[in-house]
Amino acid sequence: MTTPAQEFDQYAPWVTAMARALDDGDGDGFRTALAAFDQSRNAEVTQQVRRIAIDLHEALERFRIESKLIDLAQHQVPDARQRLAHVLRLTDDAAHRTMDLVERCCPLADQLAEQAERLILAYDAEGSAPALKPQLLAFLKQAGTSMAAVRSNLAEVLLAQGYQDLSGQIIRSVMTLVAELEEALGELARIAGPVGAAAGCCAEAGMARAHGPVVPGINLGHTVSDQQDVDALLSGLGM
Amino acid sequence: MRVQPNLNFLVVDDFSTMRRIIKNLLHDLGYANVTEADDGKTALPLLKDGNFDVLITDWNMPGMPGLELLKQVRADARLAKLPVLMLTAEAKREQIVEAAQAGVSGYVIKPFTAATLKEKIDKILAARAVA
Repeated sequence: MTTPAQEFDQYAPWVTAMARALDDGDGDGFRTALAAFDQSRNAEVTQQVRRIAIDLHEALERFRIESKLIDLAQHQVPDARQRLAHVLRLTDDAAHRTMDLVERCCPLADQLAEQAERLILAYDAEGSAPALKPQLLAFLKQAGTSMAAVRSNLAEVLLAQGYQDLSGQIIRSVMTLVAELEEALGELARIAGPVGAAAGCCAEAGMARAHGPVVPGINLGHTVSDQQDVDALLSGLGM
Repeated sequence: MRVQPNLNFLVVDDFSTMRRIIKNLLHDLGYANVTEADDGKTALPLLKDGNFDVLITDWNMPGMPGLELLKQVRADARLAKLPVLMLTAEAKREQIVEAAQAGVSGYVIKPFTAATLKEKIDKILAARAVA
C-alpha cells in the first residue's frame, strides 16, 4: 500500500506537466502527460490486486491445512491413542496367557522327573525290576497323561502368539496417521515461512477397504462380534 | 470327517507368526503339506504353478489383499473351483458379504480357535468332495 506522501511524489510530476500544458495551450503535451498519469495509476491498481490475490491464496491454503490438522488432532489422534492402548492390552494378555500355560506345564514336568528319580532309587535298592512293576506301570500312565496335558498347553501357547498379527495391523494404521500428521505440519511450516525443507512424506497407499481388527471404542460401522455372527450372516446369504 | 493327509494347503498371511500358527494347527489336524506366502502377489504365481487343494488367506495384506487374490483365483479357469478360506480380522458386515459375493468358501474371524478352523476346513473339504 502506498502512503499519501508516496502517491504525491508519484503523481505530482504528471499533474504539474498537465497544468503547465493547460497554461501553455499545449494540447499534445497535455495528452502525453494525461496518458503517463493513467499508466502510472493502472500499474499501482494491478499490483494491489495481485497482492490481494496472493494473500487470499495463502489464507485459503492455511485454512485447508489448519482444518486437516484440527480433524487429526480432535478425532484421529485420540483414536490412535485408543488403538495403541488396545495393542498394550493385547500384548499384555498374550504374555500372561503364555506364562500361565508355561506355569501349568512346569509342575507336570517336575512331578515326572521326581517320580523317575524315585523309581531309579527304588530299582537300585531292590536290585530287580519285577517287584517294581506296579510302580512302573503307574509312572508310565502318569507320564502319558502329563505329556498329553503339556502338548495341549504348548498348542495353546502357540495360538496365544496370534496377538502379534493383530497388534501389528493396529500399529501400521497408527503409523499411517503419524505420516499424515507429519505431512500436514510440514505444509503448514512451508506456508508459515522458510524454516528448512518440508518433510517428505510416505503415507502408504493401498490397504484400501481393509479396516483391520475391531478396536473397542472405535466405530467401524456394522461389524460382527464373533464367529457365530459370521456364520449367521453367511447362512443368511445361503452359504 | 476322515483326514486326507496328502492335501496341499497354501497359507497366505503377511504375519509370519500367524502363518506359523495356522501351519501348526494344520499339522495337528493331520495335514503335513503346507506352503506359505506373505501376500496375494507372491501367492498367485504359486497357485498357478502348483497343485494346491485348499487356499487359506488373510484379507489385509500389503501388495495384493486377500479379496483381490480371491477374485483373481475365481477368474482363473484352472483355479476357479479351488476352496478358499478367508481367515481375517476384517469384521465389517459388508466386507463379509463382499467376500461371499466374490466366491469365498469359508470365513473365519480372528482371533479364532483351533476348533473353528477344523470345523471350517472339514466343511469346505466336504463341499469339495461333493462338487
